Amino acid sequence: MSFDPVPSNSYHNLDEQIAQLMQCKPLSEQEVRALCEKAKEILMDESNVQPVKSPVTICGDIHGQFHDLAELFRIGGKCPDTNYLFMGDYVDRGYYSVETVTLLVALKVRYPQRITILRGNHESRQITQVYGFYDECLRKYGNANVWKIFTDLFDYFPLTALVESEIFCLHGGLSPSIETLDNIRNFDRVQEVPHEGPMCDLLWSDPDDRCGWGISPRGAGYTFGQDISDQFNHTNNLKLIARAHQLVMEGFNWAHDQKVVTIFSAPNYCYRCGNMASILEVDDCKGHTFIQFEPAPRRGEPDVTRRTPDYFL
Amino acid sequence: MKTVISWAYGLGHGGPCLSFPIASITIILQAPNPMEDKPLVVLVNQHPAGGEIPATMAVQVDEKELKAAGVEVLSDGRRGLRVRGWEIESSNRSILNSRELQLWEEKLQTSHLPEMIFGNSSLTLKHVATGVKIHFNAFDALTGWKREALPPVEVPAAAKWKFRSKPFQEVILDYDYTFTTPYCGSEMVETNNEQVAVDYIDGLRWEDCEEKIDVVALASKEPILFYDEVVLYEDELADNGVSLLTVKVRVMPSGWFLLLRFWLRVDGVLMRLRDTRMHCIFSEHAFPVILRESCWRECTFNALAAVNLSPPCSPQLPHPQQKKKNKQEKRVAYKGYQVDAAAYNDPSALSQRLPIIMHKTQKLKLNGSE
Repeated sequence: MSFDPVPSNSYHNLDEQIAQLMQCKPLSEQEVRALCEKAKEILMDESNVQPVKSPVTICGDIHGQFHDLAELFRIGGKCPDTNYLFMGDYVDRGYYSVETVTLLVALKVRYPQRITILRGNHESRQITQVYGFYDECLRKYGNANVWKIFTDLFDYFPLTALVESEIFCLHGGLSPSIETLDNIRNFDRVQEVPHEGPMCDLLWSDPDDRCGWGISPRGAGYTFGQDISDQFNHTNNLKLIARAHQLVMEGFNWAHDQKVVTIFSAPNYCYRCGNMASILEVDDCKGHTFIQFEPAPRRGEPDVTRRTPDYFL
Repeated sequence: MKTVISWAYGLGHGGPCLSFPIASITIILQAPNPMEDKPLVVLVNQHPAGGEIPATMAVQVDEKELKAAGVEVLSDGRRGLRVRGWEIESSNRSILNSRELQLWEEKLQTSHLPEMIFGNSSLTLKHVATGVKIHFNAFDALTGWKREALPPVEVPAAAKWKFRSKPFQEVILDYDYTFTTPYCGSEMVETNNEQVAVDYIDGLRWEDCEEKIDVVALASKEPILFYDEVVLYEDELADNGVSLLTVKVRVMPSGWFLLLRFWLRVDGVLMRLRDTRMHCIFSEHAFPVILRESCWRECTFNALAAVNLSPPCSPQLPHPQQKKKNKQEKRVAYKGYQVDAAAYNDPSALSQRLPIIMHKTQKLKLNGSE
């Protein structure tokens, strides 16, 4: 594809914006609006099962931990020198959701063939109102416009990606309503993440030790067993399902006899879990390397305040 | 800069165990390429994993005050102090790794545990002369969760799921995903450094009493010699709220006070607060006088909304901006209950609005004593 959505004279601007974002400085509302307009044009042409070529580095949840994303790029290589596939959850929980998601979207606009950004369950209007992104936008911009712009853009993010027809990448997991990749290709994804149904499952479900489909005791949310993964991989000629969505102490965790892997890329999650992060490098020959990393050294970032003495009663 | 320090073959099922501290990088090599084979693992390390989580904001306590109170600060990197016959120590560590987690699953006979278990973190208060030890840890708390085994609480989305066509081979899981626990601390008598666990009947017991914790005295601003908060476990309920068990302690010249708090919010459904407070006034009695007050509160979102539609007015809002925001900006309500979501984040602010369902005060007794 030689289609270039950005005229080359505006690369300069975009490069400057990326440089600014790399220093953890947010763009203006106007810049965000213009950026998201361009991003929307690129993303709306992507498939629900976006094909991706190797080599590529696959990443899990980031959750607004901007400095750890910067560390991830230091360790994994800069974009576009390294191709990236992010599996969602860029916002909420951490302190820098705005800078994190703006940077990833800016990179997507600048290097559309070099970076793929999937949708996570946090890329939704509903969830971001509870878990931080909405509040952060209000704090940093004084109004909810930027939140509105981004959450409107999230509707266009592809739901899944397929690396070299072998590795199926998505945020959550499988759905009992989906047997083949074509099932996914056929639905209209441009909407708020629904509360139930196949699109919801792709962004929310979890692998489990138990066979078959499990319904969470919450009354909503599926777990899928090894038999389900085996069947899905067999039907679709897949070797591996790479997903994110769950915190794992080592940064990655195999399930289902290495048919499924969970990748989590936010080290010391919520600034106190002490977990490692990881990314998965898939090289030219489709070889796999997990790279684990710890939090970036912090510069003036607010610390967890639990050590501040207070006269609690 | 990446440098290779060591490498080894053989990943276990479920990933490698990386329990040893490494200076910078370890590479665990696997047979290369074919995807059926296990992949290569590279570890980039900046500080040893699994150790005490560094706190950049250390508690500042005036040295003169420590001296005046006769405090001996614990050494060897331990957090805590010795004061008036007590040794008080806290420890904040990483969440359990997958191997430890597996072990806990076996011991607790469950495959569903909170996603963040700070299983090596603890708070311990030991009366040196009698060996009376009060301590707080995630394992005992989860044992309590397993025993109480409350029935599941359905989230709002469950209503829609009921109309969904069911797949073949569907199992409905029925554990208490809120991890609600009746835990109010563990106690034992520890003698000659040999841990002799004495259960409630044989050794120590909590006896109902008329006395109350002296809140007025505790509100006085005497110096805090030691303070810490330890998270024991936490779960995000798959983004349906929060379940959090923490204990915080403060030690003053007159005594120590702690609050163990279980806080649960199932968005749109339920809030549950189970507080345990303990207060010990330092004395010359041979056996320490410890009061324990338990207070359980619970309320549904519906009931709370019916009582008062406005969000709670909190004297402890974390950000001044947040107040401003509530005035300026109306949250876009995609679901009614989320309008005030931020107002339901702080249990301290909410506490008074949640009705009490259980309250009792008890005193620690040694069996055989009156």
